Amino acid sequence: MILEALEREGVEFIFGYPGGANLPIYQHLPEHPKLKHILVRHEQGAAHMADGYARACGKPGVVFATSGPGALNLVTGLATAYMDSVPMIAITGQVASTQVGRDAFQETDVIGATSSVTKHSYLVTNIDQLPRVIHEAFHIATTGRPGPVLIDICKDVQQASAERINTERLDIPGYQLNGHVNLDRAREAARAVANAERPVILAGHGVILSHAEAELREFAEKAGAPVGTTLLGIGAFPVNHPLSLHMTGFMGTGWNLKAVQNADVLMMVGMRIDDRVTARLADFAPKVKTFIHIDIDGSEMGKNVRPHIELVADAKNALEAMTPHIGELHEGRGQWFSQIDAWREEHPLKYTHSNGHLQPQDVLIDMYRRCRSEAIVVADVGQNQIWAALWWNYDRPGLFLNSGGSGTMGFALPAAIGAKIGRPDADVWCVAGEGGFVMTAQELSVAVEHQLDIKIVLLNNFSLGMVRQFQDDFYGGVRSQSELTHMPDFVKLADAYGMPAVRVDTFEEIGPALDAAERTKGPFLIDFRIDPEANVYPIVPLGKGLNDFWEAPDK
Amino acid sequence: MTFLHNEPPHPPAVAARPEPTSPQGGEVNRPQERVRVLSVLVEDGSNTLSKVSGLIRRRGFHVLSISVGPSHQPGRSRITLQIDHGHAEADQVRKQLERLVEVIQIEDVTGEDVHSRELVVAKVSASEVKGLVERGAKVLDTGPDGTTVEFAGEGKDVCDFINELIRHGVLDVARSGPVVMRRTA
Ligand SMILES: Cc1ncc(C[n+]2csc(CCOP(=O)(O)OP(=O)(O)O)c2C)c(N)n1
Repeated sequence: MILEALEREGVEFIFGYPGGANLPIYQHLPEHPKLKHILVRHEQGAAHMADGYARACGKPGVVFATSGPGALNLVTGLATAYMDSVPMIAITGQVASTQVGRDAFQETDVIGATSSVTKHSYLVTNIDQLPRVIHEAFHIATTGRPGPVLIDICKDVQQASAERINTERLDIPGYQLNGHVNLDRAREAARAVANAERPVILAGHGVILSHAEAELREFAEKAGAPVGTTLLGIGAFPVNHPLSLHMTGFMGTGWNLKAVQNADVLMMVGMRIDDRVTARLADFAPKVKTFIHIDIDGSEMGKNVRPHIELVADAKNALEAMTPHIGELHEGRGQWFSQIDAWREEHPLKYTHSNGHLQPQDVLIDMYRRCRSEAIVVADVGQNQIWAALWWNYDRPGLFLNSGGSGTMGFALPAAIGAKIGRPDADVWCVAGEGGFVMTAQELSVAVEHQLDIKIVLLNNFSLGMVRQFQDDFYGGVRSQSELTHMPDFVKLADAYGMPAVRVDTFEEIGPALDAAERTKGPFLIDFRIDPEANVYPIVPLGKGLNDFWEAPDK
Repeated sequence: MTFLHNEPPHPPAVAARPEPTSPQGGEVNRPQERVRVLSVLVEDGSNTLSKVSGLIRRRGFHVLSISVGPSHQPGRSRITLQIDHGHAEADQVRKQLERLVEVIQIEDVTGEDVHSRELVVAKVSASEVKGLVERGAKVLDTGPDGTTVEFAGEGKDVCDFINELIRHGVLDVARSGPVVMRRTA
């Protein structure tokens, strides 16, 4: 019944793990060869795989887990997907409906534990609810602002059978989609950008989720407005475009931050304007006369920044509606561009290439030279994430995947596995620090079992690098519990899982190691032992405004 | 303008034994502009109330009173909420609640022209309750140990009524929290 419903929803892959409370589902799985099940090694891995799958191919990722500990192991993965608006369906087994509330074996209030990290959730205690619930869940997960939906199904319901009922009609009175664009506001917003002397557009993940990159580009080009992206918005606007400001936020590029801080009109599309984007809110974009905010989720309006013009709409529809109204541009635009060019020269991205240590930027630059825009990069969390974001010129959506909102260490490996399954045609590179990597390293088995062609790039700095940098820079230089002194030999670890791997200590070895990775069919790991003192720059000191960013020191 | 705008909010709607020294039931002083009154139509469900209250807590808001009951439509209930929205923008409470799939409709009736009614049921030790009856209370029963009375009114009247109760030697009070309805005229 459940599996048939999933087939009807067009599900191809399920990432899951069996246990007492979902065995009735697993019993019937072999009867459904069209549903390919990936047996993970930990349920968190399943959630991140489903997440990476969804981010890479756009279809909702599906997860199975058993009750109690199984379902709870999903929580971090659900939170990660929820923060980044990723469509996902989690189906968890629950104890029999007659046992609910009695502290039965492996009973946990999963709905209670996951309500705050799911877009919606259902407890199914009766078989008659099931077809409607599954159909509704897919609808809710994939429409509007997407997100994970959890269905907790009691074991006796999994064993019951019911008449197949018609699920075509959806009636969810509490779920309204914001489809309609307020045309007056759209015109007003377009004119405000056109009339601005110093306009800036910032684009977030919403632009990617709504497939609005072409509309954004057209609008920006016609309105002559430079475009920066958030960490999750990377790919929404090509980094190589003359109007690109690259990444914004507290680890954004210097010229981006200068532009934001001097803009008179700031238009923000498909983003939450969180603290990582604004840094100290009171100092954010102080010269702006008109904030424009476009987002499909009305609750984002005024949550952090009160917009002068708000458009609650899908980014694509909104931009489409705005472009025809751009009209004449402010005559000061040329001056604004030359000012931004000057900032770009004054505050370039930089690093010290030859200090005797391997530099992470050298690794990424070589990787980018090989792949150009043809590969998917899945980053973990920490310094590796920001380096992978900044030192690669992503020119399309869907090429850079990371846990931006939740910052979940251990995301990269399982998400890269999911991405490869969702996009088997694409090269997939997993970039991770050694700290985050070992949090979910057990999923190497999955990569080997399915001979997935993913290349794992460890940027191994013998520490929790981002934490170490924060301690050095903002916490009195006290390196408390951030040095990872006892870590496995990663080449041997990969070998133990049956995966080829090499270690790289010098600049000269980068090329041959990447050659080997590219030549090898199936998974491959490279342990790049990088400069333990390498830092991420620019960075805005904690508690400071965007103006106060620090740059890489000249050595 | 109703009491909701002019008066300090009344104590949380739990069965309370007001302290004689603190006729406001120990209520903290809350800036009135931070209080919103919402009338929320929801789908019945075992999880609905916990989702609503969980969301309010998670977003840093604070429930001052809540009353729930079935609406006239089958399968739907109406929740009346008084919420302190803290540092968030006033409208955030409504917008966040709107995101819940269980929430069908929300009306922000803060400071609106509404009828607001709250019910008090109290036991007083005195058998002489003329003063209370003059204020509009109804006697429910009388026994050797005292009298049970009920009173319904706006929050301000309810507060005054409770102060009066205290003078009569109150034994116990149960208070409902307000329900509101837009005025017809
Ligand atoms: C699950 C989890 N725990 C803790 C953190 C806090 N944290 C953020 S970055 C970081 C260091 C990551 O170290 P590593 O994985 O080695 O990557 P690096 O920064 O060195 O590139 C930590 C501990 C987190 N983001 N996620």
